[in-house]
Amino acid sequence: MKSSSQKPARQREPNVLPGFGITLGFTTFFLCAIVLLPLSALLLKAGGMDLSRFIAVITSPRALASYRLSFGASLLAATVNMVFGFAIAWSLVRYDFPGRKFVDAIIDMPFALPTAVSGIALTTVFAGNGWIGQYLEPHGIQVAYTWIGITVALTLIGMPFVVRTVQPAIAEVQRDLEDAAETLGAGRFYVFRRIIVPTVLPALLTGFTLAFARAVGEYGSVIFIAGNKQMKTEITPLLIFMHLEEFDYAGAAALGVVMLAISFVMLLAINLLQVWGRKRLMVSR
Amino acid sequence: MSIALDQVTKRYQEQPVVNDVSIEVGEGEFFVLLGPSGSGKSTLLRAIAGLTGIDHGRISLHGRDVTHVRARDRGVGLVFQNYALFRHMTVADNIEFALRVRRMKRADRVARRKELLKLVALEGLDERLPGQLSGGQQQRVAVARALAHKPQVLLLDEPFGALDAKIREELRRTIRAVQRELGITTVLVTHDQEEAFALADTIGVMNHGRLLEVGHPHDLYAQPATRFVATFLGAANLLLARQGAEGIRFGATPVNAEASARLHAGREHEVVAVLRPEEVELAATREQLSSNYIARGAVEDIAFTGALERLRIRLLDEPCAAQLLGSGSAAEARLEVTRTQPERRELPLRLGAQIALGARRLHILPTPISSFLACAPTEAEAEELAREPLLESLSSRMKTRVTLRAIDGLDEAPAPFAGVAAVAAGDKAASTVEWLLKHGAAEVLVLPRQAPSPSRVYIHWTDEAVRRATLAVSASLLRHVAAEAVYLGIVTEGAQATGRAAPMRKLLDARSEAQSVHGLEMRTELAIGETVTEITRNLSAGTAQMLVLGISDIEQAGTAYRSLLAAQPGWPVLIVYRPGESRISPEIAA
Repeated sequence: MKSSSQKPARQREPNVLPGFGITLGFTTFFLCAIVLLPLSALLLKAGGMDLSRFIAVITSPRALASYRLSFGASLLAATVNMVFGFAIAWSLVRYDFPGRKFVDAIIDMPFALPTAVSGIALTTVFAGNGWIGQYLEPHGIQVAYTWIGITVALTLIGMPFVVRTVQPAIAEVQRDLEDAAETLGAGRFYVFRRIIVPTVLPALLTGFTLAFARAVGEYGSVIFIAGNKQMKTEITPLLIFMHLEEFDYAGAAALGVVMLAISFVMLLAINLLQVWGRKRLMVSR
Repeated sequence: MSIALDQVTKRYQEQPVVNDVSIEVGEGEFFVLLGPSGSGKSTLLRAIAGLTGIDHGRISLHGRDVTHVRARDRGVGLVFQNYALFRHMTVADNIEFALRVRRMKRADRVARRKELLKLVALEGLDERLPGQLSGGQQQRVAVARALAHKPQVLLLDEPFGALDAKIREELRRTIRAVQRELGITTVLVTHDQEEAFALADTIGVMNHGRLLEVGHPHDLYAQPATRFVATFLGAANLLLARQGAEGIRFGATPVNAEASARLHAGREHEVVAVLRPEEVELAATREQLSSNYIARGAVEDIAFTGALERLRIRLLDEPCAAQLLGSGSAAEARLEVTRTQPERRELPLRLGAQIALGARRLHILPTPISSFLACAPTEAEAEELAREPLLESLSSRMKTRVTLRAIDGLDEAPAPFAGVAAVAAGDKAASTVEWLLKHGAAEVLVLPRQAPSPSRVYIHWTDEAVRRATLAVSASLLRHVAAEAVYLGIVTEGAQATGRAAPMRKLLDARSEAQSVHGLEMRTELAIGETVTEITRNLSAGTAQMLVLGISDIEQAGTAYRSLLAAQPGWPVLIVYRPGESRISPEIAA
């Protein structure tokens, strides 16, 4: 039998997207070298200390206060951003006003600014004798060197994340949907609550996640406006830095692991929420 | 009347997208707005729904003036081309949306939803999300949703646009059935004439923001009044024929056709005839034709389309070929023909076969503008005139042709003129116009160089005897340009003493005649003073203005109105000439 001796060459399924092997290789390499290795090092370092000391470090009153401040302020800042970022994105997409392009460009400024610069700028404005601070101080509102100042700094840093993720989502809301709702008898607010918000929600959550993640890790802009008072305005990254200054690498790593764990759990939760929401929305177009 | 639109106008950046549209839709009627994209039909539908404001006019639903009522209080149901379903809500929530807004009780909501789902044949799909449904099912949900709050009017904006042929057919039947069952007044917008025929009780055809014709589908197909409707509703061959006292001739052959209204007061003139592809008879020889012979032809292309056979036939008789519109030159003149299978079996044809063509039924369009004739002293100048942007755009929009004609020296016995003569504006224009009118031309278009397409057309006539003709020509012109029509009534200083009642009545009569007889919506203005001065003042008041001038006395063109025909500042002037009543020959007057 001739045909059986000639094994037909296995036809490879031709792929329109070339270079799967090479791109996956790069992906794995970069993930390992840049993300996973340093994280493992962190875990190893923290694992080097005995358990009782580890627990002592991460549950010290000072550490607990810093977690509350770091995650509390970050959540608050991300929430503020979600509300106002949505408003900004809405007006940028839906309305045409003079200077729209200019405003659109300004949104990205916090991305580009060195964080220390924005920290110093905010301190200048909100300090007791600053442009805004001098009017707030007499009313008993102290912004700089309090948790309020920290939240303001984190809000500034996270704002572009929300605006930039929500913008395309708003642009995609079909006017027809609003028109349809209106002919069915719905008022403006009803349409906003029942049609627009649910449609934009997945993007809004993504923006919130990004802004939150960024805020948790922020260091540069915060330390200038925080004042760094013990137990009061110390954020966790600062506490880690202080451990490092005392050459207590293991202690720093321990705090780092705690941050990592809390962040991971929160981001995972938000992501799962999003997947659920997307499934409801996007079941095959 | 269930829906009444009165002179509705909507402008975008000064350009009217809906231009003076008046429609009345009866209770329970299925009205289809048909037009090509950009004709303003969707804008008009949105205006009825209240989603788009209008600049002028009135909209009433069931006798209630809703011109300034918000969409949500109008009680209409609207269905969109892309379904516009709320993707984050289930089918049930989508349908109940309007009921929730109205705070209806849960039990009632559910009952109504079940009822609607049954109506659109989607029972049991309540808990699905729109994304889990096919396109046809989604559109059914959209229809059910639009009907939930029991609207008095159902509006459908190209509802089948995104669906494939089979589903389209099915949904079309469902919508027709639902509409009949509920007896709800419905307006559907489409660009698909087949869809319009399948659904409509009444069709309104729109083009360039104007409503051209309204009528029963069959009447519009058999007896269109305009070139656009003739060619947009089904295929049509347009021919230039001549209508005289002895009947209608195509080329040299007389043909049977119902004579159009005698707009030309008995003079022999050119008319546009519609020959539907299925009304052409083919036979091997002229003697075998059962209908009127029109020409010989050769089969150039045959296409099989199932039930019908489509043929393209080149006309072999030069003079006839030259009279066929819609192709560039006589050499390219082709007649579209369709035959049924029995007809095909009787006379099988192959490419190149020579055959005799007969016309079973010709319909003469009542349009007064048949074709254009560019007249200039030399052929070269005539060619230049034919390339004038306004003339080019008019002839292409009217799907007609511009013939060149050199008129060297205004000799006494020229060959007869056909169609609207066009001449260049200037010092000599007045005497040329006078000469043309004397030798049989009925309409003359005087064109200044590079005149833009008009945005406003003033209409004036000097003698009530030419009112009808002037209005007919104006209406024909305005169907093809997006311009506003203004009738300019002028009261001379002396006549003013006798009171204003008479000229005012004249004005209103003119307006109502324009609307009822010619379907032309026009504004009216009354000016007091000397005629030419007042016309000039109005023409100078804006840019891109044009004048249609009806006269009954040839000398007037050369004398009184001479200044209007000058090159500077120069407006396009369309002169409509009909001899005054005294000159109509006795047998026509009878």
